[in-house]
Amino acid sequence: MTSKLSLRDFALVLALLAICAFFTLKVPDLGFVSARNLSLLMIDFAITATLAVGMLLVLLPGHIDLSAGSGVGLIGGISAVLVARHGWPVPAAMACGVAVALLLWCAMGNLIVRQRIPAFIITLGGMLVFKGLFWLVIQNRTVPIVIGGQSNLYSLLTTYYLPPMAGYTLAAALTATMTVSRLRANAQCRLHALPGDDSELSFMKLFMAAQLLFLFVIVTNQFRGIPLPAMILGSIAFCVYLLTRHTPFGRYLYAIGGNEEAAIISGIPVRKVTIGAFTMMGVIVAITGLMQTAYSGASTTTIGDLMELDAVAACVIGGVSLKGGRGSVLGVLFGALIMACLLNGMTLLAVEPEKKFIARGLVLILAVWMDQRSQRSAE
Amino acid sequence: MNPILSAHGITKRFPGVVALRDVSFDLRPGEIHALCGENGAGKSTLIKLLSGIYPHGSYDGELKIDERPVQFASIADAGRAGLSVIYQELALVDGMTVAENIFLGDEPSKSGKKGWLGSLIDWPRIYREAREVIDRFNVKIDPAAQCTQLGVGQKQLVEIIKALRKNSRILILDEPTAALAEHEVQVLLAILRDLRQRGIACIYISHKLEEVFAIADRITVLRDGSSVVTLDTASTNKAEVIRHMVGREITDLFPRRSSGRQSEKMALQVENLHVTDARTGKAALHDISFSLRRGEVLGIGGLMGAGRTELLMHLFGAWGKRSAGKVTLNGCELPFLPPAEVIHRGLALVSEDRRRYGLILKESIGFNLSLSSLGSIAGFIDSNREFKTNTRVFDSLRIKAPNLEAAVGKLSGGNQQKVVLGKALLSEPQVIFLDEPTRGIDVGAKLEIYELINRLTDDGKAVVLVSSELPELIGMSDRILMLREGRIGGVFNRAEATQERLMTAALSAAP
Repeated sequence: MTSKLSLRDFALVLALLAICAFFTLKVPDLGFVSARNLSLLMIDFAITATLAVGMLLVLLPGHIDLSAGSGVGLIGGISAVLVARHGWPVPAAMACGVAVALLLWCAMGNLIVRQRIPAFIITLGGMLVFKGLFWLVIQNRTVPIVIGGQSNLYSLLTTYYLPPMAGYTLAAALTATMTVSRLRANAQCRLHALPGDDSELSFMKLFMAAQLLFLFVIVTNQFRGIPLPAMILGSIAFCVYLLTRHTPFGRYLYAIGGNEEAAIISGIPVRKVTIGAFTMMGVIVAITGLMQTAYSGASTTTIGDLMELDAVAACVIGGVSLKGGRGSVLGVLFGALIMACLLNGMTLLAVEPEKKFIARGLVLILAVWMDQRSQRSAE
Repeated sequence: MNPILSAHGITKRFPGVVALRDVSFDLRPGEIHALCGENGAGKSTLIKLLSGIYPHGSYDGELKIDERPVQFASIADAGRAGLSVIYQELALVDGMTVAENIFLGDEPSKSGKKGWLGSLIDWPRIYREAREVIDRFNVKIDPAAQCTQLGVGQKQLVEIIKALRKNSRILILDEPTAALAEHEVQVLLAILRDLRQRGIACIYISHKLEEVFAIADRITVLRDGSSVVTLDTASTNKAEVIRHMVGREITDLFPRRSSGRQSEKMALQVENLHVTDARTGKAALHDISFSLRRGEVLGIGGLMGAGRTELLMHLFGAWGKRSAGKVTLNGCELPFLPPAEVIHRGLALVSEDRRRYGLILKESIGFNLSLSSLGSIAGFIDSNREFKTNTRVFDSLRIKAPNLEAAVGKLSGGNQQKVVLGKALLSEPQVIFLDEPTRGIDVGAKLEIYELINRLTDDGKAVVLVSSELPELIGMSDRILMLREGRIGGVFNRAEATQERLMTAALSAAP
């Protein structure tokens, strides 16, 4: 599976550049590109993108998860309540939150494949049920995640920054790994006499990637260092990338989304794979929930509102098909970056919330429209 | 007689290929004109061009209707000129009734005004007129029946009726009998003869030469995008047509050779199998028993709806509920298990409907080939090994495509079928079910599939071959089992099988 740069990818990069250029010029005192804001933007992006990468897992086999936003609130709330009201040790409280999510999403996955209820309905129900449970759990109040203003593992999720030196070391290590794996991939291409990239092009790609990586480290080091959520996103995105590209499980996700009947006849354990995808989504929802709650400093009733739609929007902008069978992790990250930049920039410009909603909606429609057009012209 | 439709010097180019090269063709009023050629010969392209799907200007050459040049910009233009196409894939809306489908897009209104705004549909008139038009063809279809309840053959008739109601003078039928059973084919051919009497001209595309010779007045053969020859049916024969199609003489259409390695070992044994339809709860298969040795080809025939596909799909774990009976695969009992398990135990199925059950159309050849043999879902894919095995299959089945990365949806029918076969073979089965493996594919690819069947049985594998084409069934099977309404209608050895005997077994009670 080689991916070719299409006109669509190009348009996406252009759109991102245009959005960034617009906010750079519009926001006073170059506020948009200040180290502080870029660092904050990075955390926003990491949280949105983590959920969106999870959403990819359920969109690929042709399902959807509308309950993710409520789930984010619920899981953050459960862990917060366990810490603040019941005095649980923080790691145990967080693990409990993850376990609850795992069970809930596994149950939803089972309902979808065994009772043949569409995911849209199950997760729409889940969205309401989880919202209700969430408010019950926190009793409609604000529950802090730390006791007595101390920092703990929970709050560190979004307040820990990797020290500058460690950041550079990490970037160097990643560059080395990329180089080695690229060299090995090229060797394989030559072995099979496949039309792989020539050495100049692969050097360029590597060089660009390394440059971006170091630029990222330098920028974040201007503020406090690489924020922890960025690293959490990095590891989750990498795992999902491996899953979708290099495991039978991932292949099956594409196959089910492409043609479920053919997938069954091909001997793919469709039920297991679908339940697996939802269970993983549950874990990712839990991680997002912990990060989002930590980012707010406390669990409040509005946490997670509409996050599922942002995640779906990021996926669609990134080229994921809502019918299933098409999409990639890289595309989703890009989509999430566009969403995060838009939201962050609008906040800096002090755009009213009502207008923000409208802008988000329009961007989503625009993305789908562009996608449809590019698909039609490709035929 | 002046031609009702003619095409002169048609050339159609796609990026990189010339699909049609200087093709000329003419159709006389009241004539059935067959279009023959291997897949990829350019038949579909020519049809799309005649029917306005490829608009005027996208090709070179000239189209004339009634001797006047025409320039179709769309299908609607072609429709107005009296031209209708009945496609291989049916274009009926399943959830609607027959009458609703016949009038779809052209509903009469109570006020008599055209257009969908400001008027209500005149339902009584729709059903009355639908009844009239159906009666004209002497077929038994209830205009109020839901289309889902109709068989494929009846649906095909509804489509033809729909086209003729619009006063079409030229009917193009693209593989109309691909999904029909023998008696339904006869009904269709009778209707076409009737239409010929009324002066309606037909372009008839089919791979089945028996039908072509049974009905066509003239035959035009396309090969590699050029019109090779136009023959009068009366003064030619099958061998000549086939020679023009493939450009070489095919002496033996069904090169079945008994492997001589048929062992006494049973590969598959079915005893007193009773199956009910899981959706309706009705009994579908009654008391089916048969056995299959290694190295043997068992042919299964029967009319549409006799339960052939259901039997295969049930044994494969994808259809129905087993109410009684015992199945033994390679000496072990095989209960009703999901396909993933059945494949694991050494059985593979190539479905009759490759686009629906066989392929992930938007993915690549490589993706599809290895889909059934990737191993445990918890592991990683060894892309190196995957590539090597895929390449081996790609080469040995001679799949015609640039490389493994080509999208499967863009391949011709024969090559798609090879991909489905390759996928099934990669799961290393002992028993292989082939459900209509040669449907809608060209003569060359058919031969390759027959050769493959021979190779498989040489290797000691067992094959179940389901086919609607009796010559194929007789030519390729060691034994033949005929099904009739979910029961066994008769079992024949190769030597004693004749088309008449098989047909009798399919139609009447077992002896």
